[in-house]
Amino acid sequence: MNLELKSNESKFLIRLADTATILGQRLAEMCSKAPFLEEDIALSNISLDLFGRAEELYKIICTIENAAYTPDDLVFRRNERQYFNLKLVEQPNEDFAWVIARQYLHDVYSTAVYTQLSESSNSELAGLANKVLKEVKYSHLHTKDWMDRLGLGTEESNNRLQLAVDHLMKYVEEIFSWDEIDREQLADCDKITSAWESEINQTLAACNIERKSIQPLSMRDYRDGFHSEHIGHLLSIMQYLPRAYPDAKW
Amino acid sequence: MESGVKVWEVFVQKKSGLPFKHVGSCHGYDKKMAIQNARDLYTRRGEGRELWVVESNAIVSVPLDEADAFFDPGEDKIYRHATFYKIPEGVNHL
Amino acid sequence: MDKFEAAFNAIIEADQKVEPRDWMPEKYRKTLIRQISQHAHSEIIGMQPEGNWLLRAPSLRAKQVLLAKIQDEAGHGLYLYSVAETLGISRAEMNEQLHNQEAKYSSIFNYPTLTWADMGAVGWLVDGAAIVNQVSLQRTSYGPYARGMVRICKEESFHQRQGYEIMVQMAFGTAEQKEMAQDALNRFWEPALMMFGPHDADSVHKNQSMDWKIKRESNDHLRQRFIDRTVPQAEYLGLTIPDANLKLDPSTGSYTHSPFNWDEFWNVVNGNGPCNQERLDHHKKAHYDNAWVREAAAAYAEKIETSVA
Repeated sequence: MNLELKSNESKFLIRLADTATILGQRLAEMCSKAPFLEEDIALSNISLDLFGRAEELYKIICTIENAAYTPDDLVFRRNERQYFNLKLVEQPNEDFAWVIARQYLHDVYSTAVYTQLSESSNSELAGLANKVLKEVKYSHLHTKDWMDRLGLGTEESNNRLQLAVDHLMKYVEEIFSWDEIDREQLADCDKITSAWESEINQTLAACNIERKSIQPLSMRDYRDGFHSEHIGHLLSIMQYLPRAYPDAKW
Repeated sequence: MESGVKVWEVFVQKKSGLPFKHVGSCHGYDKKMAIQNARDLYTRRGEGRELWVVESNAIVSVPLDEADAFFDPGEDKIYRHATFYKIPEGVNHL
Repeated sequence: MDKFEAAFNAIIEADQKVEPRDWMPEKYRKTLIRQISQHAHSEIIGMQPEGNWLLRAPSLRAKQVLLAKIQDEAGHGLYLYSVAETLGISRAEMNEQLHNQEAKYSSIFNYPTLTWADMGAVGWLVDGAAIVNQVSLQRTSYGPYARGMVRICKEESFHQRQGYEIMVQMAFGTAEQKEMAQDALNRFWEPALMMFGPHDADSVHKNQSMDWKIKRESNDHLRQRFIDRTVPQAEYLGLTIPDANLKLDPSTGSYTHSPFNWDEFWNVVNGNGPCNQERLDHHKKAHYDNAWVREAAAAYAEKIETSVA
């Protein structure tokens, strides 16, 4: 698909939309695989919130870009280098600690971003941001509780959470490498960084998880459509039907 | 066999002004989990504005063999019901 | 006869509800535990064949609708496990019965979902059959089970519509889509009819269940109801039901049909269906691989809820 976004606002929003889509897909993978049924429902709820959020964001983007394409076109017909999600949310469901840590790191960031977007001059976006904040608040509550349970529960759960955090933290640096588009669309990027740092440090300390120093990896930025190897597999599964039957209506 | 999970009874208040209603039970290891699980299970379709969870073994109920002692004597005290009383014709607001 | 047994019989006779505190014959209790726990297991195992296509749903709407449906199924399983617990069995025990195959679940879920069209067929036929059965169970004699069924029935109708919507889209879509839809119907028609269980004449548990008003209508009666309402739905789609002998009998208004393949039914019920092993293995793996999570949750709960605040 030939993707050409004309406005900076779209280029910014598609990062949020793609992040929601890929994270929603990772959570959907957990269906019928959670530690117990109630958690299956909780994770599905978060997944549904994320897909709903993605759809609303894609609709806003399509409006801004004068409807050259639909939300489904954006989800099902773009390739690996045309997706703009955080690498963090592509990371796999190695075990439940990975699921929780990935979600928590994302939710703290998400809360800070949508808090600023709720003041946007784009009233549609501000309205959506306010709705998203309620959803993220619940997800954040849920995952924070699990960070405590896993960090402070048993030696095994602490070890697994430590391993998950060690791996996922490699994908944090790019989140806070703000570019001109971010600085234009968000009121105060540095405030988001410091809010995230502050809460994460507090939570990790409280649940007995070490935040190890990470050598910056020579990784290219998600904002330029660079990913981990996971994106290819994620998309080939997600996009299979529309790509296999391009003239069918789904 | 694993242990630690508790059963909780769930009560939902649909709208303000209405009483809480027992809707069933859910599982949870701790209070926070119990109330979140109850919300996900019983209010997915906007069925409530308020929610209570109570550990099932905190509920006190009347044992079967005491049921008649507890509840039957209530049935023959008909003077507790308004219909027992005769009001003279033409007298209002009673 | 003692007064509690007399009270129980009077409740059944008067079409009232038996509640958890009431006296009940041990066999009534055991029959209900078996039926309700197997119903719950069916909802949970049913998440797997549908979960199989969740990641490949071909539109945002289709994905969200399917995920909401599967989530509902988890919820229905939970309502039913809760109901069973009121009869004195724990979820852990029911889980173990599922794993060691003491307890069964609806055999329809032992069939594989091979194409996206199967999502349509499952919603339309499998949920459709479940709805006919569940509507009838709303009048079951055990109070918590009846109330659970009322709640489930309210939620279930979107499930069938979701499936039929997919069938419509495919039956009226490209030639390939229509072929896929016909293929799904071919594979799910008879297994869906088998969901209603053996013929009345061959049904072992039937009479006691009917006498105690656990079951309100017979298998064949419910099955015929399902056939009669589904045939016109297939006709609208322009698809052919895979039964050459399906014919409307104008005197009864019902459809007559070919005899069923009971060999296949019993073979699948007894563990030799295409996916029996896979469904159980999946359920066991999710459970045992995550034991450490439950241990952590238990350990944490003990730490915080016994601490001096």
